[in-house]
Amino acid sequence: MTAPPAGTAPAVAVTGIGLVTAAGIGAEATWQGVCAGASTAARDPRLAGLPVDISCTVPGFSPREHVGRRSSLTHDRFIQLSLTAAREAVAASGLDPATWDGARVGVVVGCGLGGVATWEAQHRRMLEQGPGAVSALLIPMLVPNMVAGHLAMDLGATGPNLVTATACASGATAIGTAMQLLREGSCDVVLAGGGEAGVSPLMVTGFAQMGALSTARLDRPATASRPFDAGRDGFVIGEGSGMLVLEREADARARGARVRARVAGYGASADAHHMTAPDPEGGGVIRALRTALAAADLLPGEIDHVNAHGTSTPLNDAAEARAVRKVLGQDADVTSAKGVLGHTLGAAGAIEAALTVLTLEHGTVPPTANLERIDPAVELDVVSGAPRRREVRAAVSNSFGFGGQNAVLVLTAA
Amino acid sequence: MSAMYDRLVGLLVDRFEVDRAEIGADTTFEELDMDSLFLVELLLVIQSEFGVQIEDDAASPGDTIGRVAEILERHAAPTASS
Repeated sequence: MTAPPAGTAPAVAVTGIGLVTAAGIGAEATWQGVCAGASTAARDPRLAGLPVDISCTVPGFSPREHVGRRSSLTHDRFIQLSLTAAREAVAASGLDPATWDGARVGVVVGCGLGGVATWEAQHRRMLEQGPGAVSALLIPMLVPNMVAGHLAMDLGATGPNLVTATACASGATAIGTAMQLLREGSCDVVLAGGGEAGVSPLMVTGFAQMGALSTARLDRPATASRPFDAGRDGFVIGEGSGMLVLEREADARARGARVRARVAGYGASADAHHMTAPDPEGGGVIRALRTALAAADLLPGEIDHVNAHGTSTPLNDAAEARAVRKVLGQDADVTSAKGVLGHTLGAAGAIEAALTVLTLEHGTVPPTANLERIDPAVELDVVSGAPRRREVRAAVSNSFGFGGQNAVLVLTAA
Repeated sequence: MSAMYDRLVGLLVDRFEVDRAEIGADTTFEELDMDSLFLVELLLVIQSEFGVQIEDDAASPGDTIGRVAEILERHAAPTASS
């Protein structure tokens, strides 16, 4: 199997980004928070009394204020966060949903879990009050695909519409899929991203029971998420959404849009190794990295920056570091936003792709929060302490999901 | 206006966060941005909170609040007299 000849596929531009994260509501607030390098993890009253009771939660999000009364009552939080990020991204792109040809606008959103907090609350109602107490809105608030459906309704986008579910790679898979839709000409604009609000008692306990979450620093939550640090012991769950407006670059330039960056390559693969543990040899990751580089027509030495998956779990960070070193060497400046934002699961790949766009624009690689003593097994140049200024022409954003699903994006400067 | 109308308005304000100023007897549910599924949810809440047995297709988004209050009153009447 060979890749299509590089250079023949139309370039895909990022013309708008929107972010809603634990560092703040809006791309600028998130960027400032990530560059400041202070973790947002804190004790979460929703998790009171549970073995793991910390999370990275979007501060000051008021559904009524941010998405309106109707959405505040009929949408789960993962949809509300996504709507907020999507509206920001579209506004930033300069496109106007009132006048665009909606049939040429697609929506591809990554989501790993869906409306799990609604599910849990309604299940409790059924057990305590009987089936008659269950909401008629349970199903549309629960199923993950509704996020793309609601964005279509909100923005009048009637082109291809789907949700990708590759666990913690979902957001990156969505952007890669959107790039392919644009390259094949299925639509002219794609709103691509990810949204997740999985901080619920059952989900957090489930992740805790499988040993995925940090438990060693529950008394000091802001130090718990520490990607690539020798003392890391698991991830901190987060919530949020990242959205990108993608167009073919020629179309974007023709309408005078500001091209923020390019999505130049996408590589996807499966480990076929273990249901949750990464392949220690990184075979799937290595293949995804090489596929993405080939699609972008770039050599390993041309990658200046890696926005790592970097979850802060012992297994992920070691396996990822090994694979990155093997394919890209040690020259790229590496960071993980999860030290600041926690792990937002299906949204993470999209949030991190948006942050990679900002790194390309600003020439700034944010630091990895809480990286004090790098794991000797991580033979990479991981940025810590303070943001690092450098010209970044090409960058990789890694995302890997439970199930062994890998999605690697290559983004380049406009 | 009937007591049932007042009760329905109270429910819309308290549970569905509708501004009281938006509501009149001639206001339709559509005008309050409540679609068919949202209305099913409203009727389920009415069943459990008012103790009124009513089919979930007894009202549609084009109905006015005054009209639905009348429907509820009719359904509530036999219970009240029994």
